[in-house]
Amino acid sequence: MSLYDVIFYLFALVTLVSAFMVVTTKNIVHAAFYLLFTFFGVAGIYALLGADFIAVVQLMVYVGGILVLILFGVMLTNKITNVQIRSGSTNLVAAAVVIGIFAGALLTMMLNTRWLVNPGKTLITTIPQIGSLLVKQYVLIFELLGILLLIALVGAASIARKEEREK
Amino acid sequence: MIHVSLTHYLVVSAFLFSFGLYGVVTRKNAVMVLMGIELILNSANINFVAFSKFGNYGLNGQIMALFVIILAAAEAAIALAIVLNIYKTFAHVDVDKINNLKE
Amino acid sequence: MNIANFSQMLSFIKPELAVSVTILVVVVFDLIFNKNKKIIPYIALLGIVVTGYYVIQQYALSGTAFPTSGKYGMVTVDAFASFFKMIVLIATLCIVIFSYYSDEIIKTQGRLGEYYTLIFGMVLGMFVMISASDLILIYLSMELMSLSSYVLAGFTKLRTRNSEAALKYLIYGAISSGLMLFGISLVYGMTGTTNLYQLNAALQGADVNLYTVGFALILIFAGIGYKISAAPFHFWTPDVYEGAPISITAYLSVASKAAGFALLMRFLKTTFVTYVDPHGSWQLFNIFDWQTLLILISVLTMTLGNFAALWQDNLKRMLAYSSIAHAGYMLLGVLVLTNKGVSAVMFYFFVYLIMNLGAFFVVMIIANKIGSENIDDYDGLGYSSPFLGVTFGIFLVSLTGLPPTAGFIGKLNLFVALLDKQMVVVAVIAVINSVVSLYYYIRVLKHMFLTKRDEKISIPVPMPAFLFILVMATTTIFFGIYFTPITSWAQNAAAILHF
Repeated sequence: MSLYDVIFYLFALVTLVSAFMVVTTKNIVHAAFYLLFTFFGVAGIYALLGADFIAVVQLMVYVGGILVLILFGVMLTNKITNVQIRSGSTNLVAAAVVIGIFAGALLTMMLNTRWLVNPGKTLITTIPQIGSLLVKQYVLIFELLGILLLIALVGAASIARKEEREK
Repeated sequence: MIHVSLTHYLVVSAFLFSFGLYGVVTRKNAVMVLMGIELILNSANINFVAFSKFGNYGLNGQIMALFVIILAAAEAAIALAIVLNIYKTFAHVDVDKINNLKE
Repeated sequence: MNIANFSQMLSFIKPELAVSVTILVVVVFDLIFNKNKKIIPYIALLGIVVTGYYVIQQYALSGTAFPTSGKYGMVTVDAFASFFKMIVLIATLCIVIFSYYSDEIIKTQGRLGEYYTLIFGMVLGMFVMISASDLILIYLSMELMSLSSYVLAGFTKLRTRNSEAALKYLIYGAISSGLMLFGISLVYGMTGTTNLYQLNAALQGADVNLYTVGFALILIFAGIGYKISAAPFHFWTPDVYEGAPISITAYLSVASKAAGFALLMRFLKTTFVTYVDPHGSWQLFNIFDWQTLLILISVLTMTLGNFAALWQDNLKRMLAYSSIAHAGYMLLGVLVLTNKGVSAVMFYFFVYLIMNLGAFFVVMIIANKIGSENIDDYDGLGYSSPFLGVTFGIFLVSLTGLPPTAGFIGKLNLFVALLDKQMVVVAVIAVINSVVSLYYYIRVLKHMFLTKRDEKISIPVPMPAFLFILVMATTTIFFGIYFTPITSWAQNAAAILHF
């Protein structure tokens, strides 16, 4: 068992345990903090896969952006100072059984499919290649995402803003 | 112990996907459902990056993961704006209780 | 990729560029002319006209652009795409007129700039969806369309049901698109590509695991099925359609469904068809029993839609269920898996656009005055405002599919495509469904014409709105009698680019 393997199991464990806690814990603030560890673990997995740029983006956007948004959402929609935040769940057993069967099927599928595996060398850094792909082959999607972010900005501001009274 | 291979990553992603799905199905709080969706998106991203490395398909998979991360940020912004708006009108964010739209 | 090549590729996305420029112009004008929002609808109209010019110009063009690797690009331009882009544009034009007269939108006059920005965001998303031939682009364009429509569904914030519609739409939409993304990642893992043309080639090589492909495809179809509100992914439709502002409901029921159908047909034909025989029948990869699966979905969709509509008292909700049923009818044209079926769907969309938007417009004009869409409030309206009553009657009769309206010809085309493939049982089920739908459409007319009402209300119809309804109603009748131009247009455009 090499060091690589040890690190992989470490990150996989962090990711999966915290993801499990995200979906099972009753406390919504705890769930948000467990999500932090999940995102962090996934970033570690990206790094192990040689995707350094994606790992950094994962940390910056997910941990730095999305998680903060979610925490804001939690705090703005709950009075956490005096009330214990509970979020009820129903039919836990039935859901767990169904999802368990589904997960089993998914795992069997993942293990038994002949995925294409071709050995290739891992790049030391991927940033130059990703940069050039973004402005060459994927330029259309890149620009489309720019507009998507503009739309998201306009839409989010428009719907979250306090309604000014009609004159 | 076997050396870490593509299958190991896929197993992690399959579990993450199932957890996400479980969260989406069982949670009633809108913010919690969104967390489950984030897990699903992350599991798909692990797939993209892992396939791109082990299949030696070039960096296309990483680019896709990058796009999905950007998209997830946009979606989270819109989602939380809507949740905030719901909270202002209903003073709670319980998906199952928001049910005025029934005959 | 050199510059000359690049500018040639840009000519493939001229309509999309025009829409993007419109978005930016609307945002900038909204900032500059903060006080006067009256000008924005006119900018929108101008944008639609310019985009329409480029769409028509593109009609003769055929090919793909923006390749990532290999010769097939991620954007496909052909007559099929132009047809559906035209449908989306006409619907957008109608929605601008809708919004001009809708009380709900007039009350939020201060945010008109944002409203049109989001509408054009949807248009851009739909345009790319119609043209996309790469799974990742399909996913992103669907998200662009969805994100704009989530906000639009809750746009007015005047009533609680508005925010509720937005939340429901968002939650279900985000889940279905997440599932779709996971499916796409599996397809990428098996074939190493997301390009539809290369996928077709990769699937020809027998080295793929059919169960895994099947599972991945089910996830992807869940995402597409959600957009066209096919059963069992239709459950969000009634709530969202009832809760959203009526102009947006009308838009979602026509334009986003058109884009979804275009995507479904292109995806099916480009990715899975091995060869097309001289009669125009498609041979597909044997991943599932495609036909049986599609028949099940189609029959389920139309039956659920029609039977649920029987009990609805809210007209918006009734039209929502009726739009689910219509998605079922249109799937009939897809399930035959022939070129003729595709052209029948395209013809039906053109007709559906006119009659459905017409019906929604009348509902909106009435709701502006009486503030309700409840069927009991329609009592006696046929006498107090005969014009609205008669035109609404025409639209409803056309939605049922009775002659001499265009809806009849549309259904006829679909049934002919079915009978060509000897699917008599499916055709009979569809006819029975149409008979069921007659009941709830006629029920509205019964309330309007046969129920008396004590006080008399007159509903004011502004002159341009009057003209708009008149045009819609006459076209409904006109294309029921003289339908050849549209049929031949649809037939020409149905030849989806295929190598």
